[in-house]
Amino acid sequence: MISRRGLFTAAAGVGATAVLASCGRLSGEQTAAAPAPAAGPIFFGVSAPLSGASAEYGKIWRTGFDLALDEINGAGGVKGRKIELLWEDTQSDQKQSVPVAQKFAGDSRILAELGDFASPASMAASPVYEKAHLVQFGFTNSHPDFTKGGEYMWSTSTTQQDHAPELADLAKSLGTKQAVYYINTDWGKTTWKLYEEHAKKSGYEIVHSEAVQADGSDFRPSLINGRDKGADVLVFIAYYQAAALLTQQAKNVGLAQAKIALPSSAYSPQYVALGGEATEGAQLIVRFHPGDPRPQVREFVDKYQKRYGKQPDDFGAGAYDALKILAWAVEHSDGTREGVRKALLEGKEIPSLLYGPFSFREDRRVTTPKSTRLVVKGGAFTLVGA
Amino acid sequence: MLDTALAGLVNGSSYALLALGLSLIFGVANVINFAHASVFAVGAMSGWWFSVDLGWPLWTVLLGVMAVTGLLGLVINLVAVTPLAKAPPIAALLSTFAVSVVVDNGAQLVFGPETRRFPALLATDNLGLGGLRFGTLDVTILAVAIGLMLVLGWFLRATRYGRAIRAVAQDRDAAAQMGIPLARVQNLAFVVASVLGGVAGVLGGMYLNNISPTVGSTVGMSAFAAATLGGLGSLPGAVAGGLLLGVVEAFGVSWWGGNARTLITFAVLLLVLWVRPSGLFGKRSPLAAEPMTGTFFGAARTVRLRPWQVAVAAVAAYVVPAVALDDYTVQIGVQVVVYAILALSLTLVSGQAGQISLGQAAPLAIGAYTSALLTTGTGLDFWLSLPISGLVAAVLSVALVSPSWRLRGHYVSIATLATGLLVAAAAVNFDWLTNGPSGVSAIPPPTLFGAPVSAPLAVYFLDLTILLVVLLLVVRLRRSTLGRIWSAIREDEVAARSSGIAAAEYKSLAFGIGGFVAGIGGALFAQQYGYIDPSVFGISVSLLALTIVVLGGLNSPLGAVVGAIVLVGLPEALRMLEETRMLTYGLLLLAVVLFRPQGLMGKVAR
Repeated sequence: MISRRGLFTAAAGVGATAVLASCGRLSGEQTAAAPAPAAGPIFFGVSAPLSGASAEYGKIWRTGFDLALDEINGAGGVKGRKIELLWEDTQSDQKQSVPVAQKFAGDSRILAELGDFASPASMAASPVYEKAHLVQFGFTNSHPDFTKGGEYMWSTSTTQQDHAPELADLAKSLGTKQAVYYINTDWGKTTWKLYEEHAKKSGYEIVHSEAVQADGSDFRPSLINGRDKGADVLVFIAYYQAAALLTQQAKNVGLAQAKIALPSSAYSPQYVALGGEATEGAQLIVRFHPGDPRPQVREFVDKYQKRYGKQPDDFGAGAYDALKILAWAVEHSDGTREGVRKALLEGKEIPSLLYGPFSFREDRRVTTPKSTRLVVKGGAFTLVGA
Repeated sequence: MLDTALAGLVNGSSYALLALGLSLIFGVANVINFAHASVFAVGAMSGWWFSVDLGWPLWTVLLGVMAVTGLLGLVINLVAVTPLAKAPPIAALLSTFAVSVVVDNGAQLVFGPETRRFPALLATDNLGLGGLRFGTLDVTILAVAIGLMLVLGWFLRATRYGRAIRAVAQDRDAAAQMGIPLARVQNLAFVVASVLGGVAGVLGGMYLNNISPTVGSTVGMSAFAAATLGGLGSLPGAVAGGLLLGVVEAFGVSWWGGNARTLITFAVLLLVLWVRPSGLFGKRSPLAAEPMTGTFFGAARTVRLRPWQVAVAAVAAYVVPAVALDDYTVQIGVQVVVYAILALSLTLVSGQAGQISLGQAAPLAIGAYTSALLTTGTGLDFWLSLPISGLVAAVLSVALVSPSWRLRGHYVSIATLATGLLVAAAAVNFDWLTNGPSGVSAIPPPTLFGAPVSAPLAVYFLDLTILLVVLLLVVRLRRSTLGRIWSAIREDEVAARSSGIAAAEYKSLAFGIGGFVAGIGGALFAQQYGYIDPSVFGISVSLLALTIVVLGGLNSPLGAVVGAIVLVGLPEALRMLEETRMLTYGLLLLAVVLFRPQGLMGKVAR
């Protein structure tokens, strides 16, 4: 029988040895990951919502990615190697995106990462990617602070800083008394703050503003508030689902005459499908629209339409573009993680569906061209004035 | 004013429809059916399929949906509720939660996750009153809710089966002795309630315009509140509760803005319960309520490990990750440890003192926010913020829960559920304090011996050490006089009080110490991610914590650790399944509750 004290001493001894043995891993400096294999497929990790409330966006991503993969691999891949994606479901929840980041970081086959969908989920995982010197390509992360997380955080998303003032200008062109409704997420709130700043500076009149629940179903009491304050233009800072509901219910509370202005995140054929007739006449600002005459866009829209039987939206096009850009970066790198970042950093004239040839700014974002205004006309999006 | 009230009535009638089914099931099976909202979603989705893809007219759509959801209700009862009739009520509650995970994710696979438009089979804006446009649909929903309430009331009063249902609701054992076929009556109640849920799904789908397979969760919690508000088991109460909640929400939203809705819903629920502990229309059962944990502990003993086994396990917990596991697995280990700490807080509250908490995410959130705000806002050292987080969580836990001591049975657990949701909603709404939905970011890592603790392994060692201390604390408490007093309250509160034990004070103490432990866990949680926002502390965290302790064995501190390893590790182990991951997780969860209701670390005495 071993005595308790002896047991404790032995345990402490073993523990101390283990701690010493793992000293390198405790300090926080990642020991250099094993070099990426030089043959076989090239892998990108995808951190995405495949289940849970945001699952439909993960599904849209897949359409864009699959199309891009077929094109790239059909043409012989990159550096003669095929590209493959490793999907991990995070439900866009930071409790899950962090371990997934850790998993990708430890997998030396992975050269870059795509996602996550929501900025908070991405930003929670950023320190892990930064430490692992792995590019985190958050192509839907519009939070202004996302790319401030480190040198490995890159995004092709428009930031709210660009977007919010344009939205305010759009609303101004539609009416004089604005009622602004924004979903109570980090994105909605940030956009609203920037919107309000710009509107104040420009002297626009906002008669009512209110945060609404992103997953809410009944917005009537909130809309009645705007109606009673005499709003003649409604701004819905929301994704397409909530935007469609708000649009419909605005009609129900007697705001049928008010004009509607929307950000590009509401841009989806789904907005019209869900909102029905009430969406007629609503105006949006978008960075991408399938009616764009550029040949590259025409080709993408045709392919997409043929394969999925519907028009691509902002998320589908964004996913397609993001994967193509990363593939381009690998092509122009030495095939290492660090090389991918360098290619993005030094690349001039990076080909892109959304922006045409571009290069990244110092803050690892894209200087977005002035966005386009669309209007819902006869149940379809058309260019304003067309 | 008038149209705000009307909008509230219209919205409230959809709560009322769902609350009716919840109340019916509660009355008969004495089960809070977490899966009812999922039945609603299935009703909406299958209704969409019948009418859009198959082009059926409204009345066949309704019939089809009633068949689908009625069958689903029967299956839920046979699979998840009936087998647990002899297990403590908490087991059935968790199994219906597991079913809701399965049904929601199953529907997402069958129908696809997209939001879609529910066809307006009835007009939605052909009528008007005081500036508000509404339609045949809205009137129909209200009429159907009231009509169903009357028909059900008649059915329960005037028919043989109805009387049987009421008899079972009043006293199961006596009803069985009188020859009432319990199984058949309970099946019937589930089928009827689920058919109602399906009808609610179709009408609610039309009302909401847009539906998705997860639509149930949005409406479900409000329906819960409505049913409880009205008095669980009371049909007029369900309708009145639904309408009242709808109107109060509408005015609350009108005054305080749309994002205050959840806050309003659960604040109203708690206030009503404090004034009327059995809801507006509920009657206090003359029978002493069976404790939620059941009289189960007498039969179950916990597996006890010898000291050397514990020592080996503890050493292995340090050594194995350091030597054999990669950073990803260690990161999961960190989560396991934090959830184990949270679960240990429940071992005290639920296992030792017998008080089921469905809102343990509340002290976790309070602890996390306290530590995050102190370290980022005032630059306070993490090590100082740690005990403060625990204390703040303890004080607030006691303050929030103590008015509930007048409540009994299921009302206590619903009050804790409401508290959990209320705290998360407060974090969203109290911008000035919590930074609202943007959360608190750039929370600095703790420092130890001058070096930041941020690498996964370092965080793991730190958290594991604290877990071991908490584990020791819980084990010691269990064996102390205090532990025995808690056991006495758990086993028989009336007897305990007769022996001069101040039950309410001791229960408060359990929530206080449990809150302290959970608050410490919250502080670790915040430092681990460096970023927190209100969505992190949802109801799923509370339910996961409770499932962990039930799985581990409610009364076994070590079980909490084992349960955390299994339940936190499982979704990660299932990663290769991608889209079917959560479905499989739900199925495994269900299997665990069904086959091992006494917990992994509990064994049944022969």
